Amino acid sequence: MAQTGVIGTVSGLRPRITVNTIRITTIVVLLVLWEVLAAVGRSGLLYKDVVPSSIQIGLAIIHEIFDPAFYHHLGITLAEHVVGFTIGSTIAVTVGIAMGANPFFRKMIEPYLNGIGSTPKIIFLPILFLLFGTGIESKMAKGALSAFFPVVFSTTLGMMLISPVLLRVGQTFSLTRRQMVSKIYMPSMVNPIITGLRLGMAIAVIGILVAEIKFSNGGLGYRIAEYYDQFAIASMYALIIIIFALAAAANVAMTVLQDRLNIKQGGSATRNAGLGAST
Amino acid sequence: MSGTLEISNVSKTYDAGGENPVKALDKVSLTVNQGEFVSIIGPSGCGKSTLFNVIGGLIPDYTGEVTIDGHRIDGTHRDVGVVFQEESTFPWRTTLNNVAFPLEVQGMAREAREAKAREFIKLVGLEGFENHFPAQLSGGMKQRTAVARTLAYEPRIMLMDEPFGALDEQTRLLLGDKLLEIWSTLKQTMLLITHNITEAVQLSDRVVVMSYRPGRIKRVIDIELPRPRSSEVITTAEFGHYVGDIWNELREEASRGMADAEEKLAAR
Ligand SMILES: Nc1ncnc2c1ncn2[C@@H]1O[C@H](COP(=O)(O)OP(=O)(O)OP(=O)(O)O)[C@@H](O)[C@H]1O
Ligand SMILES: [Mg+2]
Repeated sequence: MAQTGVIGTVSGLRPRITVNTIRITTIVVLLVLWEVLAAVGRSGLLYKDVVPSSIQIGLAIIHEIFDPAFYHHLGITLAEHVVGFTIGSTIAVTVGIAMGANPFFRKMIEPYLNGIGSTPKIIFLPILFLLFGTGIESKMAKGALSAFFPVVFSTTLGMMLISPVLLRVGQTFSLTRRQMVSKIYMPSMVNPIITGLRLGMAIAVIGILVAEIKFSNGGLGYRIAEYYDQFAIASMYALIIIIFALAAAANVAMTVLQDRLNIKQGGSATRNAGLGAST
Repeated sequence: MSGTLEISNVSKTYDAGGENPVKALDKVSLTVNQGEFVSIIGPSGCGKSTLFNVIGGLIPDYTGEVTIDGHRIDGTHRDVGVVFQEESTFPWRTTLNNVAFPLEVQGMAREAREAKAREFIKLVGLEGFENHFPAQLSGGMKQRTAVARTLAYEPRIMLMDEPFGALDEQTRLLLGDKLLEIWSTLKQTMLLITHNITEAVQLSDRVVVMSYRPGRIKRVIDIELPRPRSSEVITTAEFGHYVGDIWNELREEASRGMADAEEKLAAR
């Protein structure tokens, strides 16, 4: 076990270095290209200020981070996200479990879900604005709508893929209905539900930002649109980069969380072996 | 402890939506006495798993009767513990928690059930792997976990459907030794389903040969090899004699099964 661990780290280290090298090189190359573009812009070949220099953007990022208004808008977007995502995913998990447990119900609503699920949800924006106004309510609705589909599909699939042998094991040990749910169905569903939630969370952010950019009076999307209207291009890029960093951080946090849960479930042998070697 | 299993005139037909009904079992009758070790052997598709599911109470719509100590059983039964042909450990539970599962469900306190589970883990030779998850175990270790879990349920009748079917021959022989050791301590009634002749002779008091479609009992062969037996018994002349005898019974059935499968392939 220890031996395979050592081999694992040695062989695992090399690709990691290569991957990091490539990642850093990519960023450097992009920065250089960006500066070239900015220089071209200053020489008058592009519209002036469309490509601000990276130093300008860097300063704008710092400015943004110390601006209380930024936190006001961030708070709005977060609130919209938390409420929208919670509502959408709660309904989705419930519907998904019902669909998985009841084939009749599934056959009944699956065509509609597939239809709407494969439509870009942005076409519902006008309806949401009409129904919920242009304030935070319509953004919450958009977040709920966006989060709903990945979660409902993942939950339904998870229900349908529960191992029939494990259910028979439960039967032969004379589990009560409640025990079947708590000891077999629920643990089987942890992974598919979390996968759906992760995806739903990310898609809800996109949906909310789009709605804010379109029509709103607050939130990070609104702030992007505002900078755009004021032609504060450096600030606009700064905000986009900050949002990108926040999204990446959230994604890393979710990955770590899911890995933790997977390790508890013994989800992947290699991961477990790696963990055993490092602790 | 008692546990006499009586199967009388059990038949089961699968009618796959009306067309081409498959008669999987035809009037199967068999008595397995308390504390006896009986193996059922037959070619693939002859209805072994069907019989297993009927006895385990997982197929309610069959004709005939299955009784334990004279009481008719419908549905799953506290006295029957089953080990499935497919992999059946809970991937989210460690070996210890997998084996303690039936005790946990019965409401036994944590300490008591863990202590008991450890005994059974030791019995199947998985000491040191208590905190491993199934994903970290080999196929044979997973099956041993499943066997230990059913043993922990302490059924009077152990019903096993090819528990070591997917394992290599060496591992299987050694697990056979382990199983005999466990059986000599716990003295349950054992009904093992297998398609492995060596395994059937190595372990059993009696070997029941099933015919291919409809599944019927073709012959019952008493294995009069001395007990306690170890896997070394397979090198003896008597052992070879039994294997040859069973193969003679099986050969015809197995080739019928194969011909059937080839016909089906050709018809596609
Ligand atoms: N649920 C089912 N519906 C329809 N037919 C079935 C069903 N289960 C089994 N059969 C058919 O019944 C016959 C017996 O199947 P069974 O699984 O009992 O065979 P087996 O002896 O256990 O085979 P193996 O050794 O390959 O496990 C087969 O022809 C199979 O196709
Ligand atoms: Mg079978």
